[in-house]
Amino acid sequence: MKGKLDPGKRQELIEEGKRLKDALTDLEADLSLLSEQLQREGQKIPNMTHPQVAVGSEAAATVHKMVGSKREFDFPVKNHVELGESLELMDFEAAAEVSGTKFYYLKNEGMLLELALVNWALSELVKRGFVPYSTPDLVRSSVIEKCGFQPRGSNTQVYSVEGTDLCLAGTAEILLGGLYMDQILSEKQLPLKLVAFSHCFRTEAGAAGSATRGLYRVHQFSKLEMFVICKPEDSERFHEELISIEEELFSSLGLHFKILDMPTEDLGAPAYRKYDFEAWMPGLDRYGEISSASNCTDYQSRRLSIRYRPTDDIILPTGKKGKAPLQFAHTLNATAVAVPRMIVSILENFQQSDGSILIPKVLQPYMSGRELICRKSN
Amino acid sequence: MATSSLELLARSWRQQAMPLHHSLSILRPKVLTEFLSCEVVHSRIHFHRIPYACKKVPCMYQRSVRCSSSAAVETPVTSASAPVNSGGSDPGAPTWRASLDFKWIRENRDAIAQNIQNRNSSADVDLVVQLYDKSISVGHEVEKLRTERNRVANAMKGKLDPGKRQELIEEGKRLKDALTDLEADLSLLSEQLQREGQKIPNMTHPQVAVGSEAAATVHKMVGSKREFDFPVKNHVELGESLELMDFEAAAEVSGTKFYYLKNEGMLLELALVNWALSELVKRGFVPYSTPDLVRSSVIEKCGFQPRGSNTQVYSVEGTDLCLAGTAEILLGGLYMDQILSEKQLPLKLVAFSHCFRTEAGAAGSATRGLYRVHQFSKLEMFVICKPEDSERFHEELISIEEELFSSLGLHFKILDMPTEDLGAPAYRKYDFEAWMPGLDRYGEISSASNCTDYQSRRLSIRYRPTDDIILPTGKKGKAPLQFAHTLNATAVAVPRMIVSILENFQQSDGSILIPKVLQPYMSGRELICRKSN
Repeated sequence: MKGKLDPGKRQELIEEGKRLKDALTDLEADLSLLSEQLQREGQKIPNMTHPQVAVGSEAAATVHKMVGSKREFDFPVKNHVELGESLELMDFEAAAEVSGTKFYYLKNEGMLLELALVNWALSELVKRGFVPYSTPDLVRSSVIEKCGFQPRGSNTQVYSVEGTDLCLAGTAEILLGGLYMDQILSEKQLPLKLVAFSHCFRTEAGAAGSATRGLYRVHQFSKLEMFVICKPEDSERFHEELISIEEELFSSLGLHFKILDMPTEDLGAPAYRKYDFEAWMPGLDRYGEISSASNCTDYQSRRLSIRYRPTDDIILPTGKKGKAPLQFAHTLNATAVAVPRMIVSILENFQQSDGSILIPKVLQPYMSGRELICRKSN
Repeated sequence: MATSSLELLARSWRQQAMPLHHSLSILRPKVLTEFLSCEVVHSRIHFHRIPYACKKVPCMYQRSVRCSSSAAVETPVTSASAPVNSGGSDPGAPTWRASLDFKWIRENRDAIAQNIQNRNSSADVDLVVQLYDKSISVGHEVEKLRTERNRVANAMKGKLDPGKRQELIEEGKRLKDALTDLEADLSLLSEQLQREGQKIPNMTHPQVAVGSEAAATVHKMVGSKREFDFPVKNHVELGESLELMDFEAAAEVSGTKFYYLKNEGMLLELALVNWALSELVKRGFVPYSTPDLVRSSVIEKCGFQPRGSNTQVYSVEGTDLCLAGTAEILLGGLYMDQILSEKQLPLKLVAFSHCFRTEAGAAGSATRGLYRVHQFSKLEMFVICKPEDSERFHEELISIEEELFSSLGLHFKILDMPTEDLGAPAYRKYDFEAWMPGLDRYGEISSASNCTDYQSRRLSIRYRPTDDIILPTGKKGKAPLQFAHTLNATAVAVPRMIVSILENFQQSDGSILIPKVLQPYMSGRELICRKSN
């Protein structure tokens, strides 16, 4: 329409232009909608699965390794609630009044044990090259989604903060993933090995069952979490390294546990492969999960946008040298210490016939040299 | 002026030292007990004063002797902290009762009014007195109607001619309706009385200056400002260049006023907590790790306002829970609705928790950095003691804080806060302000409050004195329950400590000298310095 035209021709073009514009607006709207639907449906697709992972539900888990053995007791075994209450290490009654069920106070050596576990495990991880972090406990719900969790929805595990876009994080994994959100790292920076201390909050909606009393399933707990960002070709190796670290930590505490290679129905959307550690808890007469280690490959990094530039340039089709394209990093996470489950394990496994608790040797320096937790003299 | 029913209850209470609600259930006007709350103090009922002399504490605290029957209010639940069943009559009604001594309020109206004015509080003591007087008179009316109704009911028991019977039936019905109306009025009055009464702030220590923040008096100055021979940096510059903290990522992930601590920044947090905890356990404080989530009613009972437009308190959707701004709330709640023995006191507690604050309405320049943040770790001291001991413990708490901060090498002043700065619960409050050279100002690092019986009347924390007393009958009996006094003081508020340490102990090359007392808790490190890349 830019040139000289006679009025009739111009009018034809104007009308054609208008028809095209309207058609375009409609189609663009369609495309936009399609794009949203595509994202929404696409995001639902879970991560691929490691070929060695068993197909099926929890029962299909395979035992990757068994460490230690069940202790023989020559006296009636107590559970951590009986032990903890008689030693004045925890208070559930007052917590139920003040905050509700599945809350608790730790007191006396119970509190000191929490700090000792955190101090000890942190020291072990810093030695192994993990960068220590203290993270926020509140996080935007969008970041939680990018990590592969579902903050909204009726049976959500996630508490939300009124009047904000914030939620209470269920694990520091989210805060650590968020730390490198939207970043372009250099290959040299990898791997990044992080360990974070945070308070974790979970609604435990839909968690029925007998272990509702005590420390086994609670709304709030302290946790030390490991997080690794690495190159794709390194993630399986780091997965093995993480579970090796966890094995060392829990063995040095003297616990008996099994390492399970979790089956497909138990992985959770982000995990390519997941190992769960279950410690023997004689007072509960069962194995209970104390830790979990997941390789999320590029599931989280594609959502959080964590990418790196490989160091070496490549040869372009033109024959020239140029920067290698950006790659998505792989992310992994593993529990170093989930305090309440550790306390359950320690109290129940190291109880003595008189109701006192032998403190694991590695923790004694962090408990001012105490060897035993015993009854208070009144 | 006590009615016969009140005389009866007083006599039975004295003789049997039974919880009041047992006595009242014999007499049974439940409605009477509701408005009385803890107020069963009429001139004919004599409660013996505790034999101890409250020398340092002004005599107004002896009023706590009398309000020992608070538990009687809600039957069968005996707690003053039990929810008020308002039946929808007043949506703004408090959901729990404070054990307020309304008679004492009426008797000390002038002092209370002056105190309210000095504190710039919106409480209205005259309204409270008015509501109280009205409750009493309506209560008497209710009593009268009940007596009438009983008389009518009794009269209907005998043989009567049908006409007379019909008359009585109708009179009975009229009385019943009138009674129902009056009882509803009384219930409403009772709620209003609670609501207005709860607004009245604590009394104030006579030595506290009247006025706003500028009127604070310096209780003590410790140390002096360090002389720098190089340009001083603030904690943000220092922290970021030493890779100790990250505000940018935190702003993306959680929002402004959030932060990550990393490397020695994180280790410093742990070191401060470990060190201070060890110091306090040595001094006889019982260590606790508390929940960070708490019912909003407990927050209110401690004297905070979780609802309201400018609230400092985050709430959790779909629950009655809030994020606690301080472990003081969790520690007060720990002993909520408890009756302790005198032997158990004092209780000295120290708790570690994560604290959350909206900082709504906090304007100002110090919005970047660690000075004002939404979340922080804190070690908090809490004391429950006998009334005559609270001033002594207040001095002990600030003495402990002084030792802690001095041993870190900080220069600070201890301020005796003025009336407008106390907050409703505090009888007296000392604030510690450390010199922060990078911010070129003194900044609050700690606060120690003596809440006397303000919180314990709301949380219902009482104790039974050990020694029996001599009753009017001449016999020995249990001494009446007393409200304990509560105090709270910050041992370590981590971010403010980090600001103080980084800014005060910075070296010319940007590294930080770690305070000697913390070095053992940092694996012996003496210095925080730049990372080599």
